[in-house]
Amino acid sequence: MNNACLLLIQRAVFKLMKQPAAPLMGFGMSLFFLLVYNAGIGGIGFMEAFGSGGYLSFVFPIAMVSLAMGSSAGAGQTLNADMQSGYFRRLYRSPLPRWALVVAPMLADTLSTLFFTALLLGIAAACGVIFQYGVWSVLGLLLLSFLWSITLCGFSAGVMLRTGQSQSASIVTNAVFPLLFLSTTFLPREMITTQWLLTVSWGNPVTYLLEGSRYLLAGTSSARFFYVALVLFAASAVVSIAFALGSTRKMRM
Amino acid sequence: MDAGIYVESLFKRYPKGSEVLHGVDLRIPKGAFFTLLGPNGAGKTTLIQILTAVMDADSGTFSVAGFDPRLHFQEVQRRMGVASQSNEVDLSETPAHLLTFQGRLFGMSAADAAARAVELLTAFHLDGEKDKKAGTLSGGNLRRLHCALALVHRPEILFLDEPTVGMDPMARDTFWNVITRLNREKGVTVFLTTQYLEEADKHASEMALMLAGKIVYAGAIAGFKKWVNPADNLSLDESYLEYVKREMVV
Repeated sequence: MNNACLLLIQRAVFKLMKQPAAPLMGFGMSLFFLLVYNAGIGGIGFMEAFGSGGYLSFVFPIAMVSLAMGSSAGAGQTLNADMQSGYFRRLYRSPLPRWALVVAPMLADTLSTLFFTALLLGIAAACGVIFQYGVWSVLGLLLLSFLWSITLCGFSAGVMLRTGQSQSASIVTNAVFPLLFLSTTFLPREMITTQWLLTVSWGNPVTYLLEGSRYLLAGTSSARFFYVALVLFAASAVVSIAFALGSTRKMRM
Repeated sequence: MDAGIYVESLFKRYPKGSEVLHGVDLRIPKGAFFTLLGPNGAGKTTLIQILTAVMDADSGTFSVAGFDPRLHFQEVQRRMGVASQSNEVDLSETPAHLLTFQGRLFGMSAADAAARAVELLTAFHLDGEKDKKAGTLSGGNLRRLHCALALVHRPEILFLDEPTVGMDPMARDTFWNVITRLNREKGVTVFLTTQYLEEADKHASEMALMLAGKIVYAGAIAGFKKWVNPADNLSLDESYLEYVKREMVV
């Protein structure tokens, strides 16, 4: 990566720091989910299905997932602001590889998500959430968060480039949102009694993200979910980056 | 072909639209001050967008500074500066920052980029505005900043697409002083489109006239005037109007 690419990444990070609304909203929203769900449903955390970590450890992955969702529109919004001002065309005409123009805001967004995820993990640890494998659990959770964030950022940036419309930055988040509720979000599989929801949850990639995280937290899920989540979201991150890069050739300037 | 601008049989059709460029041929030698004239919608901006690699052509051959922009994107970008019709400025940053950042993107060291920024701020009389956010600048100052950004990396070829729109007479004078000096002293090739024909007449020596996506005249400005009306000593403005009106009636 050359110096100009690093400059672009630096610029994208500074832009986020100057206008931190998206990541802060994402952080606030995920913290809110964590507190509200724990307060509202946490009473059932003594049941065996929730393991020794109680309901807080069980519901914590949803906070991580929603954190990335809340801030993933940032890359699209940065691109949109540059396209609206015409500055994107100037950057496009600089001697940079075209991928850098798209990857820089995506990386900035992902770094921001990782920062807030780490903060969330700290808060979770202080509140008694269990990390079954200690530092390895933390690293595993950060890795899942990274892949999930890249996936969302790439699709968000790609859609933005193809449509050139500011509203489209949040299309991906809105499209993914229902998946959060078609999964084992609030209850373990064995406590979900509706068959169609169980069936849908098996085909829902978010389920593997949640269950993979739960394996690393209180161990209420199996290692298989973590490995499937890794493969699934590594693949989706690659597809998402390819989609974003492919969009540079179809962008509306 | 020397390292100027070379275009042969260039065609472009917009999706679901009409053909914008119908086999454009142009040869602009290195160091020329060239102006492309034509009414709105003639295809001038489309041609610039293709030459500056922002848009793809349907077919045709072209090179800028000796390189095909489609194949040697980065080499061409290093050699050309573009001040397009609409401003390309990050409104949330200051002129000093934007100019310095532009220099850094083109590989200058931080110190060189900062020095170049000061040089251009002075040349374009933007010293007093250097630390204000670009979004708070007047339209004329914003336009000057937009043009200054095109010059940061000392390009060999300059594409100026209606660059002085929105500038007051003083700002225009400053702008043209900078551009003509670059052309005469540094041999920078200038490709200008403008609707202010007195500016083209005063500064350019070569021209092409584009009507409905076709080049109908290419050569010296003096030659165009004689071609349109050999008897009278018309200005470029008058010659242009006479020719375009005649063609439109036909």
